[in-house]
Amino acid sequence: MTATKRDYDTVDISDPAFWEKTPDERERVFSVLRRERPVSWQRPISSPLMGEVNENEAGYWAVVRNEDIVTVSRRTDVFSSARGVTFEDMPSEVLEMASSILTMDAPRHTKVRKLISSTFTPKRISLIEDQIYRQAHEIVRGIAHLGDVEFVSAVSARLPMWTISEMIGIPEEKREEVREAANLMISWDDDEVSDALDPATAMLNGISTLHGVCQDVIDARRASPENDLLTALVQAEVDGASLTDDEIRSFFTLLCVAGNDTTKQTTTHTLRALTEYPDQRRYLAEDFDGRIDTAVLEFVRWASPVMTFGRTALKRFELAGRTIEPGDRVVMFYASGNQDETAFDSPERFDLSRDNRNHVAFGGRGPHYCLGSHLAKTQLKAIFSELLTQLPDIRAEGEPEYLASTFINGIKKQRCVFTAQE
Amino acid sequence: MPGFATTEEINKYIGGIFEKALDDTDIGPRLMATGMTLRMNFSDPEAVITVDFPGQSILTGEDAIVDADAILSMSADTANGYWQGKVSLPLAMAKGKLTIGGSAAELLKLAPLAKDLHPVYISMLEENDRHDLIIA
Repeated sequence: MTATKRDYDTVDISDPAFWEKTPDERERVFSVLRRERPVSWQRPISSPLMGEVNENEAGYWAVVRNEDIVTVSRRTDVFSSARGVTFEDMPSEVLEMASSILTMDAPRHTKVRKLISSTFTPKRISLIEDQIYRQAHEIVRGIAHLGDVEFVSAVSARLPMWTISEMIGIPEEKREEVREAANLMISWDDDEVSDALDPATAMLNGISTLHGVCQDVIDARRASPENDLLTALVQAEVDGASLTDDEIRSFFTLLCVAGNDTTKQTTTHTLRALTEYPDQRRYLAEDFDGRIDTAVLEFVRWASPVMTFGRTALKRFELAGRTIEPGDRVVMFYASGNQDETAFDSPERFDLSRDNRNHVAFGGRGPHYCLGSHLAKTQLKAIFSELLTQLPDIRAEGEPEYLASTFINGIKKQRCVFTAQE
Repeated sequence: MPGFATTEEINKYIGGIFEKALDDTDIGPRLMATGMTLRMNFSDPEAVITVDFPGQSILTGEDAIVDADAILSMSADTANGYWQGKVSLPLAMAKGKLTIGGSAAELLKLAPLAKDLHPVYISMLEENDRHDLIIA
C-alpha cells in the first residue's frame, strides 16, 4: 500500500453527481483532464455495494487519454487485474464468483483464457453466427407490425441474452430467470432495477441464480454431452489442464454480464446515433455489406458501453509525468479514451467511415482484450442489417432514460418509431 | 456427506473454528475490525451459534438467539462442508441449502477470511481424530 499523501485533483470525477450527468456532460469534464492533467489523483468513490468509503482507503489515478489507457492495458507486468477491475470496490468473494478471467493475472489468466478460447473453434463460431443472424431476423420481424416500441426491451436486450442462452444451452424455462439475474448483476446500484433490495443482496441473489442454473447444465452435459458451448467447456483440456465447475460457473456469470449488457447498450446508442446523424445512416444504407465492417467499430467507439475498468500497480511506474506507486489503484476511462482528439479526428462526430484502429471500447489491447469482440461485432452487424432492411425508417424518438452507473454507459429506456409493416 | 451427530459436536467444531479464528494473530484482528455479529442457525441436528466479533465472544444455545447483523441458516452437513472449502456460497444459496438474512455486504466481507480458515478447520478435525467428518 502506498503511504504517499497527495492532494486530490480539483476536477472531481468521484462525485456521484458527476455520474448522474449525461455522457456528453461528462465528456466536457474529461476533455479538460485530457488536455491539462491526463493522469490525475482522485478521491475514492463510495461504493453503494459495500457501504460508505473506507476512511483508510486511498484514492486512485484517473487515466483518461487513449495512449495511456493502451499502456496500462498492455503493461500487465505492472498493472494487475487480480485485485479487482471494477471502478467500485468489489469484495474478493464476488470477483471469484462472477468475474472469471477478468480478474486474473498470468499465469492463471493465461491457462483459463486458453481453455475457454479453445472452445470457440471455427466450426462453433460459424454455428453461433448462423444462429445470431436467425435470431436478429426474428426479433425485428416480431416488432415490424407495431410501429412504435420501447427499443431496449423489444430489441437491444433480446439478442445478446438469446445468443448466450443458445450458446450455453440454457433450457427454455430458465431463460427469463437468467435474464433477470443477469440484469441484477449490472443494475444493483440503480434503485429502480434492483427493486429496493440492498445492493449487495441484489448482486448476491443475481450471482446465486446464475450459478444454480449453470451447475444444473454442467451436471446435465457431463451426464449427456450435447453440441453446445457448455459441453465444450466441461470437456475442454489444454496441456493436461481442464476447467473446474467453479471456473465454469464464474465464466458463465461473466458471460451474462460482459457478453450481454455491452452489446445491448451499443445497440441502443447506435440507434440514437443513426437518428441524430441521418447522413451517416444514408451512407451505411447505400452499401451496407461493403461498409458495415468499418461502421461497426464506430458503433462501439461511440457507445463505449464499458466506461471504466481499474488495475492495481505492482511496481513503480511513470505515466504522463506522474509517479504511480506499488499498490496504487489506476482507473481507465474508456469513454474518454474514445473521445481523445489526439487519437481521432473530430471525435465528437459519429463518422462511419472513420479509421478506428485506436478505439478502446474492447479494452486497450493486451491479454485482457475483449474475448467476445468478434461475437459482439457479429451481433451488431446482424441486428442493424435486419433493422435497416426490414424497418428502413426506424428512429429513436425523444430522450432516453439513462442507467445510474459508474461502470456501464447504459440506457434503460428509449422509444423508437417506424412505419408499421402489414 | 459425513455430518455431525449432536448439537454439542456442532458447538465444538463450528464454535471451535471461530475460537481459533479470533485467537489467530492475523485473522483475529481482521474479524474484530468488521465490527459485526454473525448468527448461524443449523439444522439436522439443530444448533445456534452467534459470534460477536468485536466483543470476541461465541454464544451457543439459548444465549445465541439474539439479533445479529447477518444470519446464516444451513444444515449441519452444509456447514461442515463449507468450512472445508467444499461448498460454494452462491451455489448453496441457489439450491436452498443456505439462506442469508440481514446484511449480505457484511457476509461478503467475512467470506474471504473464512477461506483462510479452511485448512485450520481440517487440522482441527484431524487433531480430534474426526476423520469421519473430513470430506475427500
